[in-house]
Amino acid sequence: MKIAVCLKQVPDMESKFKILEDKKIDESQIAFKINDFDNYAVEAALQLKEKAGGEVVIVTCGPDRSAKDIRQAFAMGADWGIHVNDPAVEAGDNFVVASTLQKAIESIGGVELVLTGVQAEDDQAAVTGVMLADLMGWPHCTNVKKLEVNGTSLTVNRELEGGLNEVLEMSAPAVLTVQSGINEPRYPTLPGIMKAKKKRLDVKKAADIGASAAAKTDFIKMFFPVSEHKAEIIQGDAATAAAKLVEKLKNEAKVI
Amino acid sequence: MAKIVAIAEHRNGKLTDATLELCKAAKELAGALGAEPAVAIMSKDDTLAKEVAKYIPLVLSVTNAALEGYTADGYTQAIKAVVETQDVKGVLVPHSYDGVDYAAKVAMAIGAGIVSNCNKAAVEGGSVVFTRNTYNGKIQEMKKVNTDKFVATFEKGAYDMEAAGGAGTVTAVSADIANVRTKSKGIIETMAGAVDISQAKIIVSGGRGCKDADKYKDVIVSLAQKLGGEYAASRPVVDSGWTDPARQVGQSGKTVAPDLYLAAGISGAIQHVAGMKGSKCIVAINKDPEAPIFNIATYGIVGDLFEVIPAMKEKL
Repeated sequence: MKIAVCLKQVPDMESKFKILEDKKIDESQIAFKINDFDNYAVEAALQLKEKAGGEVVIVTCGPDRSAKDIRQAFAMGADWGIHVNDPAVEAGDNFVVASTLQKAIESIGGVELVLTGVQAEDDQAAVTGVMLADLMGWPHCTNVKKLEVNGTSLTVNRELEGGLNEVLEMSAPAVLTVQSGINEPRYPTLPGIMKAKKKRLDVKKAADIGASAAAKTDFIKMFFPVSEHKAEIIQGDAATAAAKLVEKLKNEAKVI
Repeated sequence: MAKIVAIAEHRNGKLTDATLELCKAAKELAGALGAEPAVAIMSKDDTLAKEVAKYIPLVLSVTNAALEGYTADGYTQAIKAVVETQDVKGVLVPHSYDGVDYAAKVAMAIGAGIVSNCNKAAVEGGSVVFTRNTYNGKIQEMKKVNTDKFVATFEKGAYDMEAAGGAGTVTAVSADIANVRTKSKGIIETMAGAVDISQAKIIVSGGRGCKDADKYKDVIVSLAQKLGGEYAASRPVVDSGWTDPARQVGQSGKTVAPDLYLAAGISGAIQHVAGMKGSKCIVAINKDPEAPIFNIATYGIVGDLFEVIPAMKEKL
């Protein structure tokens, strides 16, 4: 089965964020990595390939820095990739990205399954995969926690609230958006990292693949949230703070 | 009059809390836009349409045998029929598991822009400005659509629940539902386990910051035992297999409200907070002073949990 995995590079969420002119984050202090949810999608694709053969193609929209994490997916075992590196796509919204991914996937030819993360850790929108499915004219399932493929028959578990899963059947071609915990993503091996350097990565502009969608939403500004209820921060070194905390839990909150 | 339509959500024959929150959202937004608030409900019959009419003046009820259970294809076709026949300006959807599954598809079907995972909406200069969480809750952003209609999904708790009291009108809307491409084989429980942490008075919960299974056990499990409480975890700990799924707290796990909830190495993503914000006293221990968990905690220590927790144990 030929599988496309849509992968986004995102900031490490442990980074110290700084906002520039209410518009964007200061990237100079940020480390970037594969979106966690997409990492699970890469692993799911590799497991399917190992079981039934085929090909795993990484498709990414992002600036120059994204190439590092496409190569990371290559080092895990993905075969080749398409990197749409175009400021016009970067300036767009989820719809622009979904439309660009659609064109990129169509340019591969013969893709039967698209896997991606349920959402990006930075944007937290959880809409791009569903839009992509609609543009491809394919069915989809979101929040996938389990996946079995038998020919073109797909059996998937869709995560629901409170520990419940819905079991669904559908047919490929389809788009599945993967939830964390579906598998244990592998770490690249040294031979994998060496091979990744030589794997094919096609760098494209949107126009090269015939993508030209316009955004349907406009970004206005970003800001740090103002908390209404800020914790009482207990000061001091670890031993002092721990002692004060225990005292407060006993005598102030009276919960221990 | 143009309508702002909230999509009702129901499971096992009951409306969800999110539905009542969106009734409130629809009324507020419709008021500010000079529009009419309504709820659209998809079901096999109109039993629940009558129920939701207690919360909103107009209920648009799409009944069809194909809508007995949720499917993305079924809901999208039904909502599209409502939008096309009812002069709908905006569609409000819960940012729930089902909502995330169909909202973007509805936006595509009606040619609307979508702003998802919102916690606020305000009308400025005639257009709706949405505020939403990004970067794991560390940064908020404001967005609006540039299309004639909009779809927005709202996180749980964005609005208070509307109180019952009215007697709204139920209007039937017909929709052809064809070519549903996913087939539900049923709903299963994945977090069955002997332990029921929801009854515990004291819960010590660990997150990604616990580093690995052994450290989680050394620090979190032992402190919980010392305090006579239960140990629990945020999602990454369960995903990594450091403890069993029955101990997961959050939207996708258990909802708890103990006297003391001690969160160590947990950043406080909204999905986790949804499962523990009702706790009486919340303690947060985290290295990152910007972690959103400090916004809801009673007491906080900015520090290394591997130093703070052993020091706590010495004082107990």
